[in-house]
Amino acid sequence: MSAAVSLKGITVRFGAVHALEGVDLEVTAGTLHAVVGENGAGKTTLMRVLYGAQRPTEGAVAVEGAEKHFSGSAEAIAAGVGMVSQHYAIIPELTCLQNLMLGAEGGVMIDLSAARERAEGLAKRMGFQFEWDRPASDLGPASAQKLEILKLLWREARIMILDEPTAMLSPADGEALFGSLRTLVDAGATVILVTHRLPEVLVHCSWVTVLRGGKRVADKAVSETNASELAGLIVGEAGYVLDSEDVRVREVRDRDGLATLVLRNLTVRDHRGHEALRDACLEIRVGEVVGVAGVDGNGQRELFQAIVGAAKQSGTIVLDGEDVCGNSPAGRIARGLRLIPEDRHEQGVVESWSLEENSALGLQRRAGLAQGWKIDQAGRRSWAQRLADRFKTKHGGLGLPMASLSGGNQQRFVAARALESEPKLLLAFSPTRGLDIKGAADVYAAIRERAQAGMAALVVSFDLDELLLHCDRIVVLNHGKLTEPPSRDRDAIGREMVA
Amino acid sequence: MNARILWLVLGSIGVVLGALAVCHVGPGVAFAALLKGSLGTPNGITKSLENTTPLLLAGIAVFLALRAGLFNIGAEGQFLVGALACTAVALKFPGVVGIVLGTVAAIAAGAAWAWPAGAIKAYRGGHEVITTIMLNSVATLLTGYMVGSGPMRAGGGDTTTASLTDATRLPAVIHSGAFSLNIALPLAVAMTAALGWWLRKTVSGYELRAVGANPTAALYAGVDPRKTAVRAMLASGAVAGFAGAVQVLAYEGRFYAGFSPGYGFDALGVALLAGESALALIPAALLFGVLAKGALNLQFVHVPKGITTVILALLILIVAAVRAKGVKKVA
Amino acid sequence: MGGYASERSGVVNIGLEGLMLTAACTAAVAAPHFGPGGALAIALLVTVVISVLHWMATQIYRIDHVISGMVLNLIAAGATNFVASLFNASSSGVPHFPVVLYEGLAIVLPFLTWAYVRFTRGGLRLVATGADPDKARLAGIVPERVRLAALVVAGLFTGLAGAMLVAYTDGFTNDMTAGRGYIALAALVVGGWRPLPTLAACLAFGILTALRVQYAGVPVLGVMPPSEFWAALPYLATVIALAGLLGRGRTPAGLGKP
Repeated sequence: MSAAVSLKGITVRFGAVHALEGVDLEVTAGTLHAVVGENGAGKTTLMRVLYGAQRPTEGAVAVEGAEKHFSGSAEAIAAGVGMVSQHYAIIPELTCLQNLMLGAEGGVMIDLSAARERAEGLAKRMGFQFEWDRPASDLGPASAQKLEILKLLWREARIMILDEPTAMLSPADGEALFGSLRTLVDAGATVILVTHRLPEVLVHCSWVTVLRGGKRVADKAVSETNASELAGLIVGEAGYVLDSEDVRVREVRDRDGLATLVLRNLTVRDHRGHEALRDACLEIRVGEVVGVAGVDGNGQRELFQAIVGAAKQSGTIVLDGEDVCGNSPAGRIARGLRLIPEDRHEQGVVESWSLEENSALGLQRRAGLAQGWKIDQAGRRSWAQRLADRFKTKHGGLGLPMASLSGGNQQRFVAARALESEPKLLLAFSPTRGLDIKGAADVYAAIRERAQAGMAALVVSFDLDELLLHCDRIVVLNHGKLTEPPSRDRDAIGREMVA
Repeated sequence: MNARILWLVLGSIGVVLGALAVCHVGPGVAFAALLKGSLGTPNGITKSLENTTPLLLAGIAVFLALRAGLFNIGAEGQFLVGALACTAVALKFPGVVGIVLGTVAAIAAGAAWAWPAGAIKAYRGGHEVITTIMLNSVATLLTGYMVGSGPMRAGGGDTTTASLTDATRLPAVIHSGAFSLNIALPLAVAMTAALGWWLRKTVSGYELRAVGANPTAALYAGVDPRKTAVRAMLASGAVAGFAGAVQVLAYEGRFYAGFSPGYGFDALGVALLAGESALALIPAALLFGVLAKGALNLQFVHVPKGITTVILALLILIVAAVRAKGVKKVA
Repeated sequence: MGGYASERSGVVNIGLEGLMLTAACTAAVAAPHFGPGGALAIALLVTVVISVLHWMATQIYRIDHVISGMVLNLIAAGATNFVASLFNASSSGVPHFPVVLYEGLAIVLPFLTWAYVRFTRGGLRLVATGADPDKARLAGIVPERVRLAALVVAGLFTGLAGAMLVAYTDGFTNDMTAGRGYIALAALVVGGWRPLPTLAACLAFGILTALRVQYAGVPVLGVMPPSEFWAALPYLATVIALAGLLGRGRTPAGLGKP
């Protein structure tokens, strides 16, 4: 069987950060090949090299036996390579059909009816359905992903890369995806799956390559390995056992405890005027860690913004016994609200500022960081040092800009800032984004430790397993409605997410 | 030094030399004329420093807005209305009273002129570049009318107001021969230092900078970006109006059509050159002021003064390019 | 339409004013020597060069779009002053094409632009690049090239505007553009970054500007407004238009992103 893809000695360096060092990858044609590793191991970077979106510092790329030097994705697409990235490349302002043909329109003039016909044909082949002239902003994650797959077919890609495809999907949609992938492989395509979820690999893939710290550490047939061996290779410790649900049993806290957060009939409209969050009711008690599960786009962001105070809402929010509906974010922060926002670049840090200056963001008026209206420079410096040490953030100096840190280290810093500053209510959105397994475990351990000390936490995440592992209670957001499933059964919750 | 930046610098120098060549003038001659006109005589130095003062004050105004993420191109208009308001009040109340009240009037006028742009940007999203520039034109027309066919005109053939009495003027601190330095300039320098200190050492300065650097992160950090934006524009307009008052009280003594040769616009250049450091406003304003005075001399060697504008613009471009370079990852 | 081309590809173009001024000055200076056709060609060429400078500054040097635009306006102001005094650009009697020609173009161009965006591959890629340059890059498009083409077109169209000014006033004077470049940008915003509504907005602003000529010397509500009032009307109208909710929410999402 021939090699559809052959990468040799791929090295990618960003300044002092080595994303990949001498990685080899060979993918046999017509197989479902998995590339696994934890966050930051270099999987996405390697795929971007194959897709022409990243120039390797060293190394050779060969597709179907022919050596290639891609200077952009257009060349990779022409060579038959297609990629569905983790955060879909669907442009909301364009229609579904426009998104589908962007970059491969087939001529200077656009023939809409011919395009529609071809699109319908491809969709039928995969069993998908689309309203071609609707704006793509209407699509949910599962549909967007289907459109992305159609894009690959439209360009007649023979090698398809999917980067963390199930990250944003409900369990049921995930299964459907693998059904589609099987159809594609049976028709002769080569599929490379980038993931950190081992169960998927063991069930669906025939070959697996493991990356750790930018290097390849293993390359074997799935039939010749098992979950614990792979887990050990990913993390670098033999016999490592990934947390399973029974390992950690939380003490059921005093049910009559005080409520830190109460939401009553909270309704939030999104920027188009639709009710993104409807009549949400929730109570979180002192010391509880509550997880919000759900597929992306069902009101999570609006919920987050409403509690922060950044969205127009109707309904009641009571924080630490006080009605804060009229309060600005500053008022809520003063009452003990702390944030780990979803997108640190947009919402959490100022990249051009130093670590020291960033350490005070959100806390700039607190004692220790300020003396009245003046800034306490010495206090701030020691605070920044404390934050950097908390989760062992690697940095080149507290006075250097935040932009000099990798994403994972930035996330560590932001998490430390929220957890070290005496939080009464922690509001976290994908708190472990960009963190490797150890880092993620540290953050959650810190959350649990704080919870023991009396902090309440609301964690929003698209990773149901992560929530099941670390939270006392799970609530589900579906089309803006917040419900609490009676049991912690993964399948039951999964069903409620898409009901 | 980056190769690209080097090309930019070389290209800019080339353009300037080329322009001079077209005038059949060597760079040495032109440069000498510039220097002689600006710093060669005591009178020249005096005038250069005089130029610097409004540039520095208006530069502070624009700089303040810039730190909050706003481009206040309207400093020119705010300067004009401030100057006019000050003149109007100071004419009615001579002496120190006039100085104080005139200044207050100018600050109010400048702030009021900036407010619409700030509010429209914060609450409607209308880009403040356009609104401030439009308001500039309105200001020019309004003040022109006032001293043209309007009520502020003193009798006689010129489009000007009456002059303020000597008692209603800001005094010089140094006066020796042809050289004189008004108290206005040291005052401006002090204000610059104060602004720099406020931005770096106070909580409110920090919050303003946060809004300018990342409004969403600032919101999540408990700062209201919209209120901050409006306040920043108001303050910026107030300072620009103040600059107008100082110009009247220290140097002009009256208001007339064509009062400002574009101080407000040059102030944008001053603020852009200064970048993130308030203290850098001082050398930037000096550069602009000196060049403006020196440029008048260029006519004597048959070089149109527009060339200094081009030189300064290219300088801003180079400085902006250097600042826009990315940060390398270290961890 | 020049502003449309640029901003739809994601490049903020505050420099329209400078582009117009450059074109006007070049046309006025070149016309006596090269006739109207030659002058137009030279003017367009020079304007396109300046526009490409804006592209270089924002795409290659990654300078903030607003700063680059303002700097180019400064360069244009200084350079046109320089060139005009050097070559004694007259303020009257400059040979030019009839104004009607330009006016016709002004009406036709928005329709052509609308058709281009709707029916051609280039048009789709333009809108995609302005909406999200990173995602467009993943689809195989090179945003920098799209923006280069867009800015060349912007230079061409805006250059036409500058040349028309010379035709209209029959010569060149310093700062003759008088803020029209900014008003054009405001019309683009009010029109929601779409060609035909922008045309309507431009007509509205044009009418306001013309009122000055029509109503000079005519009392309003019993009071005789000074000539400055009519002159200020278009500028005030721009501010009010931006204060209204017109055009908000239609900004190309990738505007200003590198």
